[in-house]
Amino acid sequence: MRLPHGKSVTLRLTLLFAAVSSFVLLLLGLVVGHLVDRHFEELDGELLVGKLELVRGALAEVKSDDDLKFLATRLEGALVGHHGLFVRILAADGQIVYVTANSDILPPPANSSVVTQPIRMTGRDGTSLRVLSGVAPMDIPGFSPAIIELATDLAHHETFMASFWNALWTIVALATVASGMLGWFAAMRGLAPLRVISRDAAQITAHRLNQRLPVESIPVELAEVVRTLNEMFARLEESFHRLSDFSSDLAHELRTPVSNLMTQTQVAVSRERSVDEYREVLYSNLEEFERLARMIADMLFLAKADNGLIIPNREAVNLAAEVREVFGFYEAIAEEQNVSLILAGEGYVQGDKLMLRRAFSNLLSNAIRHTLHHAMVKVIIAQEAESGKVRLTFENPGENIPAEHLPKLFDRFYRVDSSRQKASDGAGLGLAITKSIIEAHKGTIRVFSADGLTRFEIVFPAVVPS
Amino acid sequence: MKILVVEDELKTGDYLRQGLCEAGFVVNLARDGLDGLHLALTEAYDLAILDVMLPGIDGWQVLQGVRRSGKEMPVLFLTAKDAIDDRVKGLELGADDYLVKPFSFSELLARVRTLLRRGNKLREPDVLRAADLELDLLRRRVTRCGKKINLTAKEFSLLELLLRRQGEVLPRSMIASQVWDMNFDSDTNVIEVAIRRLRAKIDDGYVPKLIHTARGMGYVLEVSE
Repeated sequence: MRLPHGKSVTLRLTLLFAAVSSFVLLLLGLVVGHLVDRHFEELDGELLVGKLELVRGALAEVKSDDDLKFLATRLEGALVGHHGLFVRILAADGQIVYVTANSDILPPPANSSVVTQPIRMTGRDGTSLRVLSGVAPMDIPGFSPAIIELATDLAHHETFMASFWNALWTIVALATVASGMLGWFAAMRGLAPLRVISRDAAQITAHRLNQRLPVESIPVELAEVVRTLNEMFARLEESFHRLSDFSSDLAHELRTPVSNLMTQTQVAVSRERSVDEYREVLYSNLEEFERLARMIADMLFLAKADNGLIIPNREAVNLAAEVREVFGFYEAIAEEQNVSLILAGEGYVQGDKLMLRRAFSNLLSNAIRHTLHHAMVKVIIAQEAESGKVRLTFENPGENIPAEHLPKLFDRFYRVDSSRQKASDGAGLGLAITKSIIEAHKGTIRVFSADGLTRFEIVFPAVVPS
Repeated sequence: MKILVVEDELKTGDYLRQGLCEAGFVVNLARDGLDGLHLALTEAYDLAILDVMLPGIDGWQVLQGVRRSGKEMPVLFLTAKDAIDDRVKGLELGADDYLVKPFSFSELLARVRTLLRRGNKLREPDVLRAADLELDLLRRRVTRCGKKINLTAKEFSLLELLLRRQGEVLPRSMIASQVWDMNFDSDTNVIEVAIRRLRAKIDDGYVPKLIHTARGMGYVLEVSE
């Protein structure tokens, strides 16, 4: 039986329960019925064998024709009380020596067939009989050997068996219904914890994401499911918070430049001004607009990364070469700040040149901005011998980043010093973008800051030879 | 040079027309796809600027119609979505370039000029000149007023770019992409510093000054009166 998928578990359990119990009952009934049948068969067999011996003994006494005349009387005495028992004795020539009353239902005499084991036969009028026959020597010439045929009527056994089977079917049918109902009850009871979980889960909404399903009162079989659900809720809660923080940060970040633009323009148009003054206002607006446009582009990039839409090319990238390119870009700035750029080691990854260059560019620009003058920014590439992982570190001496800021450094709009907001700092999305790019390459990025040294460490997975 | 602009957004259409007119182009503006296609098929243009999202028929269909009629003028796409699919589709249909909104006008102008230049296969001169500044591409030598100036490789490329596109305002993003191959919005201070250093070498102590800052837009090399 194929149960419908996606249908009620209670229904499925009920059906299964009923099916299993009726199957077991049916099997039991069949075994019992068969055994009873066998028992009747043995009883009949024993009766027939016993009577055969009795008749044989009686025949052995027959020495003369006179004895033969008395045989009927003797046999009737011996067989009295056995209803439904038929006896027929045939002489060698087929002449009927003796027959009990009503024996015309017996099959016609057949000399050749001697039934040495009790077998089942159908009589002339359709009655079921069990038949046994045997040979007995007789002292009367011409008669020997005689054939004794015995048959017993099975009607009363069959009546019993018929009512037995009827009773069995009725019991099985009733039991099926009963076990279905009990099964339904058991399933309802058994599934009660699921309903509790479902009711509890329904309580968890966007406003109450901190709620969890209670694990203690849950049966062990469901505890794993509940734990998994709770973990899922935790992840959802985290994403949800990040998302709502992001939206409020976003609104805040947009408010400042937009309000600058508005007030500046309102002040400018409030009275007649010289062309130069107007131009000054427009230039200033232009700068704000540029910042806004860059912020929007960065946020679109991050939104795409969140939705897994950043799909990097897969080509062999020589990390040292890319870092050198980025060094070339920042060379002039570094020189002006008396910062030297140093690269050591090399390594290859599978990835997207352009994206990696963007990530490295963010890290390097960050490092140069926060390095002390006359210091050096070091980039070290190392391929781990055993694991094949590639480790890339950007290291610069500089003021330590307080430990509490480190885990949030890659968050969007996060600034270590919230009061300081230099134009050159950008929108605070650089490190978030860097992290998205590294993660799109299945890599990880971490930051360490201690003893006057700040270090960003990227680990790329080993290159899988294609 | 005649340019067709198909843009349904009122403000964008108006400022594109004004900006391109002031840059010396003759501009026809269509506000929807059908008008745009009609103009493109009946008049001769050197370039078309198409918005993707248009009422009536969209930019893709205008482009298909134009290409089917056998016109080969360069087409530049304006798209609001930075989706790779859009980009691929546009290039497959025969667009020559695209810009994602919001874009800066100087960026658009620079792209338009690049596309228009692609058409004329004039032999590039070996020596680029502006006033008394000379850049010899074969010998990789730069002189001003006959005096040799030593430039780094990147400074040389930067000066070459500015000289080739004399009189055009080059946005910082374009300079970063052409000279350093940094095709993303990067730290714009870098370009400032590079320009400052180049100026110190070729402009300091000479008259006239050649490299000018177009505030909020980029840099331009020109011999101003």
